Amino acid sequence: MIDHLTGTQFPPQDTHEQRLIARFQQGDPEALATLYDRYVDRVFACAYHLLNNREDAEEVTIEAFLRAFERAATFRGECPLLGWLLVITRNLCRDRQRQPRLLTLEPEVADRHAVRASALCSTETALAVQRALEALPEEYRLVLMLCDVQEWDAREAATILHRSVQATKSLLYRARRALRQQLQDTWNREDATDAM
Amino acid sequence: MRCNTVHALLDLHLEQQLPEELAQQIERHLMRCAACAFEARTLEQTRNLLRAAIPPVAPSPSFRERAAARLQDALVPHLHPRLEQADTRQWRLPLLPED
Repeated sequence: MIDHLTGTQFPPQDTHEQRLIARFQQGDPEALATLYDRYVDRVFACAYHLLNNREDAEEVTIEAFLRAFERAATFRGECPLLGWLLVITRNLCRDRQRQPRLLTLEPEVADRHAVRASALCSTETALAVQRALEALPEEYRLVLMLCDVQEWDAREAATILHRSVQATKSLLYRARRALRQQLQDTWNREDATDAM
Repeated sequence: MRCNTVHALLDLHLEQQLPEELAQQIERHLMRCAACAFEARTLEQTRNLLRAAIPPVAPSPSFRERAAARLQDALVPHLHPRLEQADTRQWRLPLLPED
């Protein structure tokens, strides 16, 4: 199965998913509810990482499901349903980004990358990671969030990034090294300051 | 195995996507080569720090409820005609409380 948009090869859908999609296309409400439950988190995460804003991401998530459900009959099964949903979501995000806004809001940095302290990571370290991430180019940040934080498959991330799977993996590898460099630079500066 | 080959394969090694034999060759190289071992360790630490510091995003439970309600309201008239005849109390999007 190939996503013709990105040239991405996906494994064949399992028969359960195929049956579910067939029922969805026939207007079976239970299938609709199952698909919503299965994919709402991913659609939301996609919108959130593209828009950097929870409120907009929530609106787009609803719009994406509405559009998908309205156009269910046009889904030809040439890519997984999730891929199709993510393309709809990505297009809706682009539409929203093009819309003029009455009020320009600062990106929800604090919310977008809500840091967490843990046994592995102090609050100070978590904030340093957040700042390093913010300093990266947008496409690096996006691929890191999708692949390393959300733990998406590179094929799914490729759909969002509009790249081939191989190009997505290359981008991810470069992004990891850029993040490492940012962190090293930050800590080297701090060490130098402490030594003064 | 040469250092540049190891560097090119480190991410796949980190993701445990290499065949066992190749992974073992890399491990053996990392035991002998301090520079590559440093490269591998810092790359892994960076990814672990990112995962430890930034939680994945998810819609809030209240959003899921609101979204389910809106979708249900919007979709009933537009879906397959058989839905219009159906008793909508028989199906619910997840997390929507029963009447």
